[in-house]
Amino acid sequence: MRANAIVADSLTYRYGQLTAVDHIGFAVAEGEILGFLGPNGAGKSTTVKMLTGQLRPQEGRATLLGLDIARETKRVQSQIGVCFEITNLYEQMSAIDNLVLFARLFGVSGFDATALLGRVGLDGRAKDRVETYSKGMKQRLMIARALVNRPRILFLDEPTEGLDPNSAAAIRSVILEERERGATVFLTTHDMMEADRLADRVAFINQGKIVALDTPHTLKQSYGQRRLLARVAGPDGTLQEREISLDQPDTAAAVQDLFAQEKVVTLHSEEATLEDIFMSITGRKLA
Amino acid sequence: MISGRVVSTLVAKDVMLYFRNRFFAVITVLGVVAFAGVYYLLPRTAEEQLTFAVHAPVVPPALAQMMTDEGVTLEAEPSEESLREAVEAGKYQAGIALPEGMQEAIAAGARPEVRLYVSADMAPEFGEVYGMLVRELSFVIGGRPLALEVTEEVLGPDLAAEPVAPRNRMLPLLAVFVLLMETLGLASLITSEVESGTLRALFVTPMRVPELFLAKGITGTMLAFVQAAVLMLVTGGLIRQPLLILTVLLLGAVMVTGLAFLLASVARDMMSVLGWGVLLLILLAVPGMAILLPGLVSRWVRVVPSHYVADAVHRVVNYGAGWADVAGSLAMTLGFAVLFLALGMAALRRRFA
Repeated sequence: MRANAIVADSLTYRYGQLTAVDHIGFAVAEGEILGFLGPNGAGKSTTVKMLTGQLRPQEGRATLLGLDIARETKRVQSQIGVCFEITNLYEQMSAIDNLVLFARLFGVSGFDATALLGRVGLDGRAKDRVETYSKGMKQRLMIARALVNRPRILFLDEPTEGLDPNSAAAIRSVILEERERGATVFLTTHDMMEADRLADRVAFINQGKIVALDTPHTLKQSYGQRRLLARVAGPDGTLQEREISLDQPDTAAAVQDLFAQEKVVTLHSEEATLEDIFMSITGRKLA
Repeated sequence: MISGRVVSTLVAKDVMLYFRNRFFAVITVLGVVAFAGVYYLLPRTAEEQLTFAVHAPVVPPALAQMMTDEGVTLEAEPSEESLREAVEAGKYQAGIALPEGMQEAIAAGARPEVRLYVSADMAPEFGEVYGMLVRELSFVIGGRPLALEVTEEVLGPDLAAEPVAPRNRMLPLLAVFVLLMETLGLASLITSEVESGTLRALFVTPMRVPELFLAKGITGTMLAFVQAAVLMLVTGGLIRQPLLILTVLLLGAVMVTGLAFLLASVARDMMSVLGWGVLLLILLAVPGMAILLPGLVSRWVRVVPSHYVADAVHRVVNYGAGWADVAGSLAMTLGFAVLFLALGMAALRRRFA
């Protein structure tokens, strides 16, 4: 059994009267990717800020790699990497200079900036000023910066939002490589497909509380509905859709009736998405 | 525990960013060049001559004696009309037209009319001086010299004995200006880091807040000090007491670094740094202006922190004052430096939070 890399216990933070994070608790195992999902204002960023030492929890505590983040902030921060949602690079410096700066701050010896830039596909533009980069390139550099200290825990806040498919794929590939290396990944995202594809488990946060936490598969089993979607040809030749639930007692009869009474053109099964599950739990849309 | 590695890394980063900001890079180089240029454009000697002209059908002996005095340039004009035109054209500061038979008229107890012409740009107090001169002249011509002896005693250093050239009077103001330019530069650097979010990225590394302040303090002080020292070097300000002048500039550089922290804590972007900075610049330039134009301001100027930097530079560069002479100014500059650094760091901490 793997040890826990992150343990949050009753973490709470309020902005005045508003409780942004309300006594949440969870654990993330070493080498696990946790997808942290929720709509805007649900408390995702505040949670990440508390876990990375940017905000001090007002109640509860969090330990990362066995260290209390509030008490041993700098020891924790030396072992984590953070990729922010907004681009916050030194734009007047080159990619290499950006990475070398952070490597020195972390005290990394023998740091190879070119190799790291190669991992995110930026080695060809390593000496160019960041201000000349596209959004996708900047985001890849943000990921590279979060990796300079070979972090044991990687916090990624919307790492692929608004990116072209190639850049997004490159970033997903790096995330999976990091998990292979043994790093724990705390992935905050709006992108359900991404969470489904990458995360070992997902946590839904809504109005400051965690409302569900499990593997995508289990969540779909527990909350989602499986169904068959059929396209049939109508009397006038137009295509019409028919839907049959796979979780009802009379599913078999309904399928037989469909084939007996209609001219089925296409037929496929569909399982619930994480978006559907979030809606069924909270009554709200994620994005 | 402060890490030298972290601090030196941050200082190198700040210096790199400072000179990659085109505006401040240009201002920094141009500032020193322009200030040195202004210095060399100003007269190198003090103009202390009283220059005036007189028209008199017969020059009284008392006036003739005056024409030979040191520090007085007195020219004769052939007519009252030419005298008037010469003063109007700026050839003389003042002109005195004595009427014909003045000496006899005074002896007979009459009141002859003497005309005093003064140039339009002359300070009012100088007009009064010339008026008094004419009145004194009338007593002398009338054979009634003033029945009193005036003994002059200079209290403190005799500044009048060492006339200071306008360019050297300007030097303290230029030194303060150079220091203050760096206030704007450092404040802008900090503000842009807050605005762009790069400080957030630094705060999730092992870097500690005191290391950040130390690095910013070193960067700001170093940039301000080096530029002010270069200015003093190229203007000859380091000839007398170089160590003392460098100490004054170093303390001044620390003080303006504290002011930069305060400025960065209230400014939201570069435009607001410039807005607030110009206000600060005007206020802190007043003591330098007071040295350039004595009598411009009264003693309240002592509450302006830059007064002690300007005063020390002025006294050391222009009058050869020593450590003991400017110890008070050094202490006050140090006090203001510590105060502004403490206030600036507290205000910035609140902003970072």
